Amino acid sequence: MEFKKRVSQITAFVNRNISKDILDSLKEVGVIALHLAAARSPVIEDRKGIFALLPGRDLVDDPVDIISFLVDRKTGDHVLSLIIEKGRLNLPGRGSVYSEEINLVMAHELCQENKPAPFATEKTPFQKLTGICCIVQRGQGESVARVALDTGICVPSLHFGVGTGVRDKIGLLRITIPAEKEVINIATSPYDAEVIMEMMIEVGKLDQPGKGFIYLYPLKKGIINMKVTRGEQRHAASIEQIVAAIDHIKGGIEWRRRSGTVEKKGVKRRAYLSGLADLTLLCDEGTGTDLVSVAMSAGAAGATIARLKHVRPPDSPLSEVSPAREACSMIVSDNQADGILKALKEAGAFTDSCHGQVQLRRVPKAFTYSEIA
Amino acid sequence: MTQQTAGKIKVSFSHALGLLGHYIKNRVMTQVKSVWLIIIYLILFQTVILGIRIADASIIAIGIGLVVAGLTFFMEGLFLGLMPLGELVGVKLPQKSTLPVILGFALVLGFLATLAEPAIQVLQAAGRAVKPWEAPLLFLLLTKYSHILVYSVGAGVGIAIAFGMMRFHYNWSLKPFIYILVGLLVAFTIWAFFNQNMHTITGLAWDCGAVTTGPVTVPLILALGIGICRMVGSAESGTMGFGVVTLASLFPVLTVLLLGTFLLGSVPGPMNEADFFNKKNRKAAEALFNNKDKMVHYLFSNASIESQVAYFDGSKEKMVEYLEVLSKNESKKKAIFGDDPDALKRWAISQGTEEQRYSVFGSLDAVKKAVTRYSTSVKKAVNVPDLLARNTIVAVKAIGLLTLPIFLVLFVLLREKLPRSDEILLGLFFTILGMGIFSIGIELGLNKLGNQVGNMLPSSFKTIQLLEEKTNIINFDPDSVESAISPDGKKQDFFYAKIGNDYVPIPYDEKSFDPATKQYQCTPTKGPLFGSEGSFWGIAVVLLFAFIMGYGATLAEPALNALGLTVEEITVGTFKKSLLMQAVAIGVGFGIAMGVAKIVWNIPLLWLLCPPYLLLLFITKLSTEEFVNIGWDSAGVTTGPITVPLVLAMGLAIGSQVGVVEGFGILATASVCPILSVLAVGLRINWKRKAALTEAVQTAKEESLVDGI
Repeated sequence: MEFKKRVSQITAFVNRNISKDILDSLKEVGVIALHLAAARSPVIEDRKGIFALLPGRDLVDDPVDIISFLVDRKTGDHVLSLIIEKGRLNLPGRGSVYSEEINLVMAHELCQENKPAPFATEKTPFQKLTGICCIVQRGQGESVARVALDTGICVPSLHFGVGTGVRDKIGLLRITIPAEKEVINIATSPYDAEVIMEMMIEVGKLDQPGKGFIYLYPLKKGIINMKVTRGEQRHAASIEQIVAAIDHIKGGIEWRRRSGTVEKKGVKRRAYLSGLADLTLLCDEGTGTDLVSVAMSAGAAGATIARLKHVRPPDSPLSEVSPAREACSMIVSDNQADGILKALKEAGAFTDSCHGQVQLRRVPKAFTYSEIA
Repeated sequence: MTQQTAGKIKVSFSHALGLLGHYIKNRVMTQVKSVWLIIIYLILFQTVILGIRIADASIIAIGIGLVVAGLTFFMEGLFLGLMPLGELVGVKLPQKSTLPVILGFALVLGFLATLAEPAIQVLQAAGRAVKPWEAPLLFLLLTKYSHILVYSVGAGVGIAIAFGMMRFHYNWSLKPFIYILVGLLVAFTIWAFFNQNMHTITGLAWDCGAVTTGPVTVPLILALGIGICRMVGSAESGTMGFGVVTLASLFPVLTVLLLGTFLLGSVPGPMNEADFFNKKNRKAAEALFNNKDKMVHYLFSNASIESQVAYFDGSKEKMVEYLEVLSKNESKKKAIFGDDPDALKRWAISQGTEEQRYSVFGSLDAVKKAVTRYSTSVKKAVNVPDLLARNTIVAVKAIGLLTLPIFLVLFVLLREKLPRSDEILLGLFFTILGMGIFSIGIELGLNKLGNQVGNMLPSSFKTIQLLEEKTNIINFDPDSVESAISPDGKKQDFFYAKIGNDYVPIPYDEKSFDPATKQYQCTPTKGPLFGSEGSFWGIAVVLLFAFIMGYGATLAEPALNALGLTVEEITVGTFKKSLLMQAVAIGVGFGIAMGVAKIVWNIPLLWLLCPPYLLLLFITKLSTEEFVNIGWDSAGVTTGPITVPLVLAMGLAIGSQVGVVEGFGILATASVCPILSVLAVGLRINWKRKAALTEAVQTAKEESLVDGI
C-alpha cells in the first residue's frame, strides 16, 4: 500500500464539446481509470455596437472538463501528445494540457497509475510550464482569474470546492462562514509565474485575512490555451496566431518573458511561504470530511475538497471504487506529511471503504495572510 | 503558515455576534433583492396608475416583512438541511439498494409530496365560480371528488419521480419522454376540445401540472436527482440530475385527464340552469354533490330565483314553506348552512328575495332590523392564534411528510448515520420556521395587496362596482334624486350624498332602492381609466401589468431561486443563476399576459397551449440535453407560492368582470413560455460556443488547403 513512487500526472482542461473524443481515445490506448471534474473557463468577449456601451461583464464562460489521471513516467509524454492530437489542442481556443511528476505515496490497490502499452504518437512541441493554483471565496474567483486573461497568459480554469479548516472548529457557528470556495488554475511559463502570482495576490487582496491562498507548483511540460479573447478579428492574424508563430520560430517561449515589463504595484516585500507540499487525498465521496479531520488532528491546517467523478470501464474490477469521489487538497509543511500519512492510514483511508490515494507534489512558493507578515 | 491544532476554538461573544450579524445581513439582503421589485411594483401600480389608496397598509407592511424573514429562513434551511439530505440519500441509494427499491421509494415520495404541498386549495379557488350545470365534470372534480383529484395528481407525481430515477439509472435522454408525453397530452387536449365535458377540465389538468411541484418538493427532488446522478451517470452524461421536475409537471396532466375520462360516464352533459334543477334531472344533478343538503345550499347561494323555484317543483309556496321550517330546525339549518348560526339570516339579507327574507325572519320589522345589522360588511380582524396554528400545521406537514420517508430510508434501509447532523437538523428547523412565517406573510401581505390590485385591475378597461365600499343609506328619500343630461341627450339620475364634509354626486339606480325598508344600497363604481368601455388601451394596460407582475413575482419565487443556484453550482458557473432567472421571468411574464388575454377575449386554451408545445417539441429536438433538462425543469418551478395567489387574484377578478366560467389556464400558459425562453437562450449560447470552437479548426483546415496548393 505504501509506494512513494514517482508517476506522471496528466491534467487536461478541455472544452466539454471535445472531451468525449479525448476520453474515447484515452480508453483505447489503455488509460482506464481517470477522474473527471466540471470547470469553467472565462474568456474576454469583444462587444460590438450598442452592447459595448452597456455596463457589466464582458466575459463569456465555456464549460470545461478537467480530465486528470496518473500514468507511468515512460508513457507520460505519449499520452500527452495523444491528447493534444485528438483534441487538436495546438489550435488556440480548445484547451490546455500538461504533465507533472508527483509522488504517489500511498494508495488503495485499485487506485494505481495507468500503465498503457507503448504506442506511437506524432511529435509535438511542448512548453515548459509552472502551475499556479489560487483558492478564494466563492464569487471572488473571476477577478483573480482575470489577471491571466488581461495579461494574455492563458485561459484560466475555475472550479468549485468546499473549504474546511478553522470553520469546522467553531461548532454550529460555522454556518455563518461560507465554506464554498473557488479554485483557479492557470499554467504559465516559469519565467512569468512569480510576477503573475504577485499580480493575483494584489487583485485578490490575498494579503488580507480570510481572502484566500495561492501557490506555485512545478509542471513538467504541456501546451496551454492562450486564446483569451473572442470576437471579431480586425487584423490579418490574431495575436494568438502571431504568438504561436513566433514560438515556433524561436523554438520555445522564453522570448515571451515579461518580468521586466509588467509593472509591479508597490514594493511591499511579501513573506512568502516555502518548503511546503500539496498533499492531495483522493477518496470515495462522503469519507473526505472525516479523513480531513483526521489529517487536521495530525497537523494539517485545513483542506479544499472538490468533487470528482471516477470514470472507468463498467465491467472492470475498478467498479468497486465509488464513481463519486472527493479530492481533498491540503497544503502542509514537508515535515508534517509523514505524520499525516500515518494518521490517514490508521483511519482506514486506504481500505475498501475509502479507496484512498495520496499524491504529494512540491510547492516551492505559496502565499496567504499570516499574522507574522 | 499558522497551524491550528484539532479541537474546538472558543469564539468570543462579540466575535460571534459579529459573525452572526454579517451572516444575517447577507441572507436578508438576498431576499430583499428578490422581492423588492414585485412589492414596489404592486404598491406603485395601485397608488399611481389605479389611484386607490392601500387598505390595511400596516398589516400589509407587517406581512411583507414576514415574507422576507420567512424566505430568509426557508432558503437558508433548504441549503443547510433539506438539499444536503436529499443529495445524501441520492448518493447512498444506488450504492446500497436495488432499482426496484429506488423506484418504490420514488413512488411513495412523489405521492407524499403531493399530499404535503396540496395545490388543491389553489385550484378550488380558481374554480370557485364554476357552475355545476355549465361544467358538471369540472365541478365534480373540484368539490365532491377533490380528494380523488389530489390522489390522481399524487399518482402522477409518483410515477414521474420513478421514471426520473429510472432515467438516471439507465442514463436515458429526457427528449423521448418529452416527445411522447407532450405528443400524448396535445392529442388528448385536442380530443377533449370536442367533448363538452372534457373540454372544461383541460385547463384544470394543465394547471395541476403547473402547481403540483412546490417549494419544498422541487429542491428535494433536485437534490435527490443530483445525488443519484453522481453515482450512476456516465462520464458524458448531460443530465446532471435535472429533468425530474419536468416529468412531475407532465405526468399529473395525463393522470388528471385520465381521471376525467374515467368519470365521464357518471356525469350529465352541460345543460342550462333551469334544466339542471328540474325534477327530471334531479338524480344526475344530485350525483355531483356530496349529499342532498349540499345541493340545497348550493341552490340557495348560487342559483337564480327561477331555479330555486324550479327545484321546489315550480312552486313558490313550497320553497317559502321549506325556508320557514329550516329557520326553526337548528339541526337541518346546520346541515345545510354550516356551523355559523347566523348564516341563513345573512344569506336571506344579502341574496334572498323579499318573500325569502320574510319566511326566514317571520316579520317585516325583524327584516328591517336585520338589514341594518347584516348588510354592512363586517371587516374581519386578523385572528392571530388561528393564523399561527394554520400556518404552522401547513409548514410542519409539508416538511414532515417529505423528510419522514427520507429519514426512514436513510436510517432503516441504508443504515447510514447522518453526517453533520447538527447542521442538517438546524436546516430542517429553519425550513419549517421559514415556511410558517412565509405563509403568514403571504396571507397578510402579498395576498391582500395582490387582491386589492387584482380586483381593481379591470377598471382599467371597464366600469366596475366597488362592492367592498358598499354602504347602506337609511331613510333614503327618492325625491332627492335629480336628473342630469349628457351632450347626446341621454338622461342619468343622480343624487347627492354627504360623505364626511364633502357632497358627492352618486348615480342613482332604482334597483338598489328597497321601498319597504326605505334603504338604498350605494355601490360606488370606478373606470374605465383608459379610453372608453372595453378599449384596446385599457386592455393593453392590463396585459402589460400582467407581464410585469409575472416577471417580478417569478424573481421572488423560492423554488426558482433554489433551482437557479443549483444550476449555477452544477454547471460550475457557466449557466449563471441571474441568466436563468431573467430568461424564466420574461417567459412567465409573457405566459401570464397570454393567460390574461385568454380570459379577456375568451380564447380556447387549446389555441394557447398546443402551438407553443408543438413549437417546443421542435426546439427541444435542436437543443442540447443540458439545456433541455434545465429549460423544461424551470417550467415546473415557476408557479409557486408567490406567483400563484397573485395570478389567481388577477385572473378571477378579470374573469368575473368579463363573465368567464373559470380562471384556469393562466398557470399553464405561465409554464410553457419560460421553457421557450430558456431553450432559446440555450440555443444562442450553444451556437456561440460551437462557433468559437470550430473557428480555430476551420482556419487550420483552410491553411492546410492553401499549403496543399
